[in-house]
Amino acid sequence: MKDLTATVKSNIKIAEKIYMLTLVLPENAGIIKGGQFVNLSTGDNSQLLRRPLGVMKAEGCDITVCYQVKGEGTQNLARSEAGQKLKVLLPLGNGFNLEGKTDIAVIGGGVGIFPLIATIREHCASKNFYSYIGFRNKDTVCLLDELGKSKSLTVVTDDGSYGEKGNAVDAYLKEADKLKVDLIIACGPPVMLKVLKRKLEERGNKIQCLVSLEERMGCGVGACLVCVCKNKEGSNVRVCKDGPVFDINEINL
Amino acid sequence: MADLSVEICGVRLKNPVIAASGTFGFGREYDEIYDISVIGGLSTKGMTLESRLGNPVPRIAEGKSVILNAVGLQNPGVEHFIKYDLPFLREKGVAVIANVAGRTFDDYGAICSKLDGLVDFVELNISCPNVKAGGMAFGIKPESIKEVTRVAKSGLGKTPLMVKLSPNVESIPLNAQAAEKGGADCISLINTLTGMVIDVEKRKPVIANNTGGVSGAGIKPIAIRMVYEAAHAVSIPVIGMGGITCGIDVIEFMMAGAKAVQVGTANFTNANAMPEIIAQTNEWLDNHSIKDINEIVDTLTLN
Repeated sequence: MKDLTATVKSNIKIAEKIYMLTLVLPENAGIIKGGQFVNLSTGDNSQLLRRPLGVMKAEGCDITVCYQVKGEGTQNLARSEAGQKLKVLLPLGNGFNLEGKTDIAVIGGGVGIFPLIATIREHCASKNFYSYIGFRNKDTVCLLDELGKSKSLTVVTDDGSYGEKGNAVDAYLKEADKLKVDLIIACGPPVMLKVLKRKLEERGNKIQCLVSLEERMGCGVGACLVCVCKNKEGSNVRVCKDGPVFDINEINL
Repeated sequence: MADLSVEICGVRLKNPVIAASGTFGFGREYDEIYDISVIGGLSTKGMTLESRLGNPVPRIAEGKSVILNAVGLQNPGVEHFIKYDLPFLREKGVAVIANVAGRTFDDYGAICSKLDGLVDFVELNISCPNVKAGGMAFGIKPESIKEVTRVAKSGLGKTPLMVKLSPNVESIPLNAQAAEKGGADCISLINTLTGMVIDVEKRKPVIANNTGGVSGAGIKPIAIRMVYEAAHAVSIPVIGMGGITCGIDVIEFMMAGAKAVQVGTANFTNANAMPEIIAQTNEWLDNHSIKDINEIVDTLTLN
């Protein structure tokens, strides 16, 4: 784990309110697993908190993250230009553990797709991914070339303006019976993960399911206890340090 | 290289820069980023007799040059700290300040007894703005500050007592004097200021607890004023904090009368904040040909 000063290489709008930011690190940060994240400064010194962003791609000293412009922090990030310096603490969190698994269902919604893409990129040479991805509408559809590294890809939108109308969870469930997978990985809005947990329970799912969570964070390293969620025993776990990836059966959503 | 070491209540710190409670856990996480033995001391996450789960999320929000938090004293309980975290901190050779809170006066006495002789200081959290029972209630009026300090002190025979003062009060000098009269060996301030941030789209506060404690660079002028007031109201040492982000900030607090400082929110903005602040403090002293940091304490001349 290192806190480095990185240089912006590019910062491109890839869909409605979605940007892809590539940073060059002063040194190779080592292997970054899919599902791990970085804590990035916004470029505005009056914003004291870093923004936790899932890594989408890590190649040598280049790190790519994607983000949706939502508040002032991401508005500042969207204004960053090549050559600008940003502080980045990385790698953070546990990431998806795919050890011993060969066939993996991927369920992603909206900005939740970025850590899933990193995981697909990392393992697509040796494992089969079957991806079910939901976007709000056709204007927010992005990174299909990356998602296309999956063995199969189903894209749906909330309004049916791209692909079929529907959500990623239902798209997966429609094919779940005939799909032979030994792991499900998922990331998306809290409501999507909540529905996924309930529907998997309803169908008596026995396949392990790992989900990556999002929460407002302070330190990003597990010290401040700001970003907690409840586990099944009712204790707190830290999203940044114990997660952000958890077994869906181990946590309350 | 100036001599950065300071002595407070007979405890020697290698430098005056202490990690502030709640921002640094029990040190283990930041020790993965740098060797935390370089810092002067560490004030632990606020602890209670029993373990606590704290508040619902979201627990944090942001304003310009400030943040707000309402973690609500989530902690594993003091016994857990003594067994699992204290040995690690002892090995690191940093001054250990156990930050403690209670629901009742008796809680404060009991938790102090458990820690007596084991840590370098007990820091009394009588000003946590984010818990409903106790905490803040004790830290507002001079009478209750004096009483809670007296009860806590009765549980301590060996370890010096540091009382952490709230800024959300009528009079800092009167409260500082109340702590001194109650038997405090030193004072730390300021805790966070109570604030609120609203999500205007939802018409709701961002933080689940509605209000949170405001900290960060933006509160520094308030903190400096209060540290100055406290340091000139009592004869016991004062430890200053509130918005420190660089070495010059340390110098400023010490000129105002602080014998040491605590650094909190800056750790979130820059994971290497504390080692950098220590280096910058030394640099300022070297540039001003000051050999011993203690020479700058309380050297302010008012206009």
